[in-house]
Amino acid sequence: MTAPEFAAAETAQPPPPDELRLIAGGEPLSLAAHIHRYGPLPRFGAPTELIAEVEQSGLTGRGGGAFPAGRKLRAVAEARRRSRPGRAGAAVVVANGSESEPLSSKDAVLLRLAPHLVLDGIALCAEAVGADRAYLWAHNGSSTQALAAAITERSSARSSLLRVQVTETPAGYLSGQETALINVLNGGPALPTFVPPRPAEKGAHRRPTLVLNVETLAHVALIARYGAPWFRSVGAPDAPGTALVTVTGPVDRPGVREIPLGTPLGEVLRRSGLTRSAQAVLTGGYFGTWVELPAASSVPVSEPGLRTAGAALGAGVLAVLPDAACGLAETARITGFLARQSAGQCGPCRNGLPALAEAMHHIAFGQPSPEVIRWVQQLTVLLPRRGACHLPDGAAGLVASALRVFAADLAKHTGSGPCAHVAAGPVLPVPAAGLVVDRSAP
Amino acid sequence: MMATTHAAAIVVNSSTPLWYATRATGLVALVLLTASMALGLLSSVRFERPNWPRFVTLGLHRNLTLLALAFTVAHVLTTVLDSFVSIPLPDAFIPFISSYRPIWVGLGAIAFDLMLALIVTSLLRTRIGLRSWRLVHWTAYLCWPVAVLHGLGTGTDTPTTWVLVLTACCVLVIAALTLWRLARAWPARPVASTVAVVLVVITVIAGGAWLRAGPLSPHWSTRSGTTTAHSAGASAAGYGVRE
Amino acid sequence: MSQRHESQSQQSVGRLRRPELQVNPIACEAHGICIELLPELITTDPWGYPVLRPGPVPLHLQDLARRAVADCPTLALRLVTPD
Repeated sequence: MTAPEFAAAETAQPPPPDELRLIAGGEPLSLAAHIHRYGPLPRFGAPTELIAEVEQSGLTGRGGGAFPAGRKLRAVAEARRRSRPGRAGAAVVVANGSESEPLSSKDAVLLRLAPHLVLDGIALCAEAVGADRAYLWAHNGSSTQALAAAITERSSARSSLLRVQVTETPAGYLSGQETALINVLNGGPALPTFVPPRPAEKGAHRRPTLVLNVETLAHVALIARYGAPWFRSVGAPDAPGTALVTVTGPVDRPGVREIPLGTPLGEVLRRSGLTRSAQAVLTGGYFGTWVELPAASSVPVSEPGLRTAGAALGAGVLAVLPDAACGLAETARITGFLARQSAGQCGPCRNGLPALAEAMHHIAFGQPSPEVIRWVQQLTVLLPRRGACHLPDGAAGLVASALRVFAADLAKHTGSGPCAHVAAGPVLPVPAAGLVVDRSAP
Repeated sequence: MMATTHAAAIVVNSSTPLWYATRATGLVALVLLTASMALGLLSSVRFERPNWPRFVTLGLHRNLTLLALAFTVAHVLTTVLDSFVSIPLPDAFIPFISSYRPIWVGLGAIAFDLMLALIVTSLLRTRIGLRSWRLVHWTAYLCWPVAVLHGLGTGTDTPTTWVLVLTACCVLVIAALTLWRLARAWPARPVASTVAVVLVVITVIAGGAWLRAGPLSPHWSTRSGTTTAHSAGASAAGYGVRE
Repeated sequence: MSQRHESQSQQSVGRLRRPELQVNPIACEAHGICIELLPELITTDPWGYPVLRPGPVPLHLQDLARRAVADCPTLALRLVTPD
């Protein structure tokens, strides 16, 4: 029996409105209000039913990787089947709300306003993959007490065998990375590890581990109730469903909003109150890419849509750059930040990122020679896929897109030095130099 | 067992060629082990020249170690087969059970065991993982000096000038390369490196002092455990036994 | 073997998934021995770290590749068959 019929048999609960699937309003939903809005937690006959439903829905990860969620669920479930029976081989669920990307706030907002959707998702996935425990990682600064209270609310309402532990992710851009979180659970520092072994096979405590972004888990909770066809009823065929995006910059209504995937970028910005003209948008986050305005206004906001413009949705950040700013200067500052956040574990990143940042700094704040520009272009080709995580890829991609989108500024800087707008910044907030990754084991 | 006759005053029995073979293979094994250790140290300081790439150092290190093993096995076999002094095969593996110069033969057994461990773990390196391999490979710093002491303590030829010079050269090479290696490690681990340098210097000085007071002094063979039975048999066979 | 015959047999071997080189960037300490042994497949970046040519290892270089894997001082280089 597929989920919608089952849920319908239990409670004839209508699904939420399309633009407000995840977040009802500005106030956090208590457990009672949550059940009133969405209905009770659905039950499945067999774990594979939920996995099949999620696969059919086409849900992809909302944490930046955009990996099909159903495939992840299936991989972990299968690894669990192959592992030792009983509790010794049980899987682990990691709900990632770390949101280490400074420009993003969607996960914090979701955890504050709809914690029970996320917790539903955790419970459903835990049952589907055979997990006996779950870890919910929240951004340092988030209210872990509120989350702990929500968990207590649930366990007193109905007995649950699932142990959910809420922890604050350590500070650091890389700390929320999938393997970094697992490293911490295994007693190491919050730094990425080399894959293999894949977390789905051997992750936390050497067990099959499912790592999903909290927004992805919230969508799972909705798919379980209303089914894959409902999930696909909005969005694009190649990017179904809705997603949370964080819009920042010179807009009247910045912040987190839920959009159907595939909405044109210009439309999303218009709804956020972009009235003046702007020159570019940084999509994805600090490890993302620039797209030019107004040319990219018609680009669909989705992973495949943005890819046609050489960009990516990433963590759902859309940071608007006003006309009176220098994209090269902003990029230089961000690249400097990324270089400072390097785990320092891999030679290409430890050496290449500071070199990239220094060269970008020269391009933005000095008068770059063709050699410097050539060197930067070389680095953007030399760094990707040579680290344990995707930090070097992100930095290289950011710089490459900056050189492309701000080509006119580049020509101006080369000819006559930094433009006037350089002094107008910083527009995008870059955390101070003092932010240091804690390399010691907890 | 062969019976050959040589001219002149030396009464030959079947152990003469074996005894020479033991001493010869022992010395050659020591030289090869020194060369291997030297190349290992050069590898750890990342030595390279335009016409001497790193893989040559590594390849030679590996091949010379195997050659050293071959000569050590020959050294062990000739010792065991030599009926003049009874050193059965287990004495080559189990330290200090020998009736002949137990401590010094025992050191040989230790060095031999360590050599085998070093070689086996290196052959299985990709299977046992880096950490286990590294742990065992550290014992190379123990294996080599123990082999040197074994040679000096048991060696009939120790008081000979050329043997002393040879041994001194080996010690100097290894000491110098070890100090180079420690100098490289100093920026990252100053305390450990300084302690190690002190240890190296103390070992060399102490070794020299022991050499003077021990093998180079009179009555060493008695003190080290060559029993009067051995000595008596030797003089009966016409060997001059150094007192 | 004529060229056409050789390329046909190479194609059929190619269908058995051929091994690829992979380096663990955390374990790699830029000793550079792999770069010395396999210059056809591995080059150095400005800081001495290996840049691997993507794709499967050609048959005639597989022995050298295995030696490079065994010789890596930190066991960072691996030969993997992609699944």
